[in-house]
Amino acid sequence: MFNIDMESIDLEKTYDLIVLGGGPTAIGCAIYATRFALDVLVVGKIFGGLIATTHLVENYPGITSTSGQGLMDMFKDHMNSLSIPYITDEIRSIENADDHFILHSFFQKFKAKSVVLATGSERKKLGIPGEEEFAGRGVSYCATCDGPFYKDKTVCVIGGSDSAAKEALFLSQNVKKVYIIYRGEEIRAEPINKKRVEENHKIEIIYKTNIVEIKGDNTVKSVIFDNGTEFEVDGVFIEVGAIPNSDLAKRIGVKTNEKNEIIINRKSETNIPGIFAAGDVADAPFKQAITGVAEGVVAAYSAFDYIKEMNIEY
Amino acid sequence: MAQNDKYKEIIKREMAKLTKPVKIKVFTSQRTEVDGSKIRACMDCGQFMGLLRIYEDNSNGMLTIEELSIDNNPEFAKRYDIQRVPTILFVDDNGRELIRYLAAPQGGEIQPFIQSLFTFAGAPNYYEATIKQNLDRIQPSIIKVMITETCPYCPSVVATASQFALASEGKIRTVIVDIMANPDIGQYYDASGVPYTIINDSKTLVGMVGANEILRALIGGNIKVQY
Repeated sequence: MFNIDMESIDLEKTYDLIVLGGGPTAIGCAIYATRFALDVLVVGKIFGGLIATTHLVENYPGITSTSGQGLMDMFKDHMNSLSIPYITDEIRSIENADDHFILHSFFQKFKAKSVVLATGSERKKLGIPGEEEFAGRGVSYCATCDGPFYKDKTVCVIGGSDSAAKEALFLSQNVKKVYIIYRGEEIRAEPINKKRVEENHKIEIIYKTNIVEIKGDNTVKSVIFDNGTEFEVDGVFIEVGAIPNSDLAKRIGVKTNEKNEIIINRKSETNIPGIFAAGDVADAPFKQAITGVAEGVVAAYSAFDYIKEMNIEY
Repeated sequence: MAQNDKYKEIIKREMAKLTKPVKIKVFTSQRTEVDGSKIRACMDCGQFMGLLRIYEDNSNGMLTIEELSIDNNPEFAKRYDIQRVPTILFVDDNGRELIRYLAAPQGGEIQPFIQSLFTFAGAPNYYEATIKQNLDRIQPSIIKVMITETCPYCPSVVATASQFALASEGKIRTVIVDIMANPDIGQYYDASGVPYTIINDSKTLVGMVGANEILRALIGGNIKVQY
């Protein structure tokens, strides 16, 4: 993990498959590909992906309840049991060299017969004044990471999704009060989490409200609503969705849709032979860890098929 | 400092792979009593050293932890500007401090710590070629990484910053600070989010940042690629 054993990574050879990403989709793909006897390398910017920041995962079949980090620890153990090498790095370009691809980061160059893009997504920003200024000083995108700093304080969670609800529930364990601020009329959490939010006396939902500015001095002190009200808070947790990390894909000519998601078929194939995609970066209508892993596994199988065809001599 | 069995197993398994000798310094507060016995004066130091001894005891004799007391070795404490205990230092053969830990290498921080030990002992450094290629464009720098024990992304940033320091021939120093254990440092930088990376007390990188971003911040420009 984190390329502890550099000696196990051969920078000269052409891997059968390089998987880009560090979340459950990428790791699931790598595990299956390795079991298909493919020579696999995983290159990911963030091990764990977005799910590592979730404090509660109760919908991964087979696991009653764990944290996101707990889930990824299990993935890590499985990966390590197969000695799959993982490098913390970010690929910035991919060249198509006929029968293989050349992948470039700022630190190394790799070669692979096939590539799976499982680069996930990143948290969407609000794009309002004060958001960037107070990043890490009252503005956060990760309750698991930063919640402990707000013990006995008042915070708000912006958003109405299931993730926003779970963030609020996690924060309520430590803070004095959590306000969920949502522009809609009803939060869109899973019914089980919606019920938990409604029953939690520390959580209050403010509906039909947008935040237009975040204010403070050294740290956040208040937010401004779209009706002009200034509302005092010590922390702002932003959970307004995610945008796919598809810039690399677009740069190399992989087709994306209007939401910048990579377009894949049922075999996780993209429009470029030998390049596959899976998970949050791809165009599935419903995105969960389990669905991402499934797509990653399909991508592994498709890569296996692709390489098998390449290796056939006529 | 919880040292549960799973993490102990990870330490044992990984440290057994260390094949080259390596030495680190740990500063604690120890008094020598009249009868010659030594007592650790700082509350955390005992547990901290207990954790580090697990690393040492499972390294086939390859890891040596030199415990120095700020009370009994004031000249070393002054030389390395030890302000608080416990502190771990990676000091190279030329006496240059490369990495400083004001944090316990436990939980998720086990792996970047082990990686640093291995690299310090001579294992290949993934970032080395590019760091060296850009070294003339990097001024002597300190990377401070604020972390907490439960932060899922902190180990990645710690790993990268530490590997940069180890590749930099002494030009880069990395300081890892647990800001729950050192809240005054977190407050000084107004850090209420982790990982929180500060370069030369001027540039701040908030959240999970990749190696590219850290290197760009050190250089202040585009990265010269080594291949």
